[in-house]
Amino acid sequence: MSQSVLKLSQNDLSRERKESDSALPISEAAWSLKTRALTEMVYIDEVDVDHEGIAEMMLDESSIAQVARPGTSLRLPGTSQGGGPSPAVRPMTQSGRPITGFVRPSTQSGRPGTMEQAIKTPRTAHTARPVTSSSGRFVRLGTASMLTNLDGPFINLSRLNLTKYAQKPNMSKTLFEYIFHHENDVKNALDFAALATEHAQFKDWWWKVQLGKCYYRLGLHREAEKQFRSALNHQEMVDTYLYLAKVYQRLDQPITALNLFKQGLDHFPGEATLLTGIARIHEEMNNITSATEYYKDVLKQDNTHVEAIACIGSNHFYTDQSEIALRFYRRLLQMGVYNCQLYNNLGLCCFYAQQYDMTLSSFERALALVSSDEEQADVWYNLGHVAVGIGDLTLAYQCFKLALAFNNDHAEAYNNLAVLELRKGRIEQSKAFLQTAASLAPHIYEPHYNLATLAEKIGDLQSSYAAAQKAEDAFPEHVDTQQILKSLRQHFAEL
Amino acid sequence: MPEVKSIFREVLPKQGQLSMEDVPTMVLCKPKLLPLKSVTLEKLEKMQLEAQEVIKQQEMALKEQEKVQ
Repeated sequence: MSQSVLKLSQNDLSRERKESDSALPISEAAWSLKTRALTEMVYIDEVDVDHEGIAEMMLDESSIAQVARPGTSLRLPGTSQGGGPSPAVRPMTQSGRPITGFVRPSTQSGRPGTMEQAIKTPRTAHTARPVTSSSGRFVRLGTASMLTNLDGPFINLSRLNLTKYAQKPNMSKTLFEYIFHHENDVKNALDFAALATEHAQFKDWWWKVQLGKCYYRLGLHREAEKQFRSALNHQEMVDTYLYLAKVYQRLDQPITALNLFKQGLDHFPGEATLLTGIARIHEEMNNITSATEYYKDVLKQDNTHVEAIACIGSNHFYTDQSEIALRFYRRLLQMGVYNCQLYNNLGLCCFYAQQYDMTLSSFERALALVSSDEEQADVWYNLGHVAVGIGDLTLAYQCFKLALAFNNDHAEAYNNLAVLELRKGRIEQSKAFLQTAASLAPHIYEPHYNLATLAEKIGDLQSSYAAAQKAEDAFPEHVDTQQILKSLRQHFAEL
Repeated sequence: MPEVKSIFREVLPKQGQLSMEDVPTMVLCKPKLLPLKSVTLEKLEKMQLEAQEVIKQQEMALKEQEKVQ
């Protein structure tokens, strides 16, 4: 009797457990769906994102020598061989590299030399350098979680039992992604991933990759490297190669990254993302010819690859082959890319390829599609160039003035306005514009060279010499600067 | 710059040329091709704009509440 009672009660218990078990998967599924939806709202592919803050840039712990050997560093681009067009033909960025055809969040838009310059760089999504990697952009992204739900966060991390969820394979991966991307809580994510890896007995490559990502975010690059390497031992995946290469790039070891990519290509022959990675490294090291070669390989694999087309197009434009550049940009148009930058580039290529019918309508489209003041300033600046080309200097003057109206810090517009003012004979105005341009953008040589010329003409040899030296720093191979310096030195020697 | 370099020989007349002077002229900054943005970058910028707008709206709502009070 007592046994049958026991059996009955056991059956009851098991029936209850079965009922609650059947309810569990449904609620689990709903929870999983909501979590994944919230994560997807803010999900960004980690391979593309750069987390380097100013502090990490200036106080580099992983360097082993004071100065890198030429051709082995991403931070000293000018020292490698096989460069492309000189600054006489191609505009330069703050870091001494020529401007590229394509920009990503991790494109080094500027590597300032001093702390002052570092703080002066503007803080938008594409030129931002957060002060440390834990502030700036990621605080903004973390607020996404606070903004989505005013009643409080969907998942309260401080009260979450991480160990329990780490052992449930159905929910652990979703939860990890939520913590990492939506909440931006890297430390908790790291703990969670460590627990999950333990539970999987260190055999699951996915968790090792996530551990690696967390270490990378926290700046522990060597640990990240170990995790990614061990993940590769378990399972070869393209993403793992990309993450590992990112670690090597952050450690400023481009050659190691290149070797890694080549190893990856052995396992995944013809993989477009690996080829793109190689091309990007070559571009960052200023090897424009090798970069173009690899971008062409990318296009053989995937001929709608926007980055490759844009970069090859811009290289052709700056090597005086505007017709070929035009073909590349028209291909982008065929593919359906429809934004201000493309139409601006089309306009410029049309003009320099002497297809004057399309030039102005392309620029009109570009102006209609602008999304920010800086873009508008750039389009007006290029229109000013077109005006100079057709000889309409009044129009050119107005265009450069408009460019300045939209972006008060547009150094190139100031420089070109100065040239036009000098043609009108207004020397003081020209000098003022040149000084503004030189102070706004000390990395471009034109304002310094122009100041040197102007000062020499009016007889102010001291400032002419100072300006010529700055021009030489920016562009050492410029013949005219050398001539000015030579004549000035002769003059001073005679005194 | 064209990749094939050909050698041009200058033909300078010996008679009739009085003097030659290389005058340093001003240099214009070059036309700027605008780089295209990647999908990630556009998404980042969009998220940033949206977050800013939401914050602005919240601030407006707070201000109105204060005015009412």
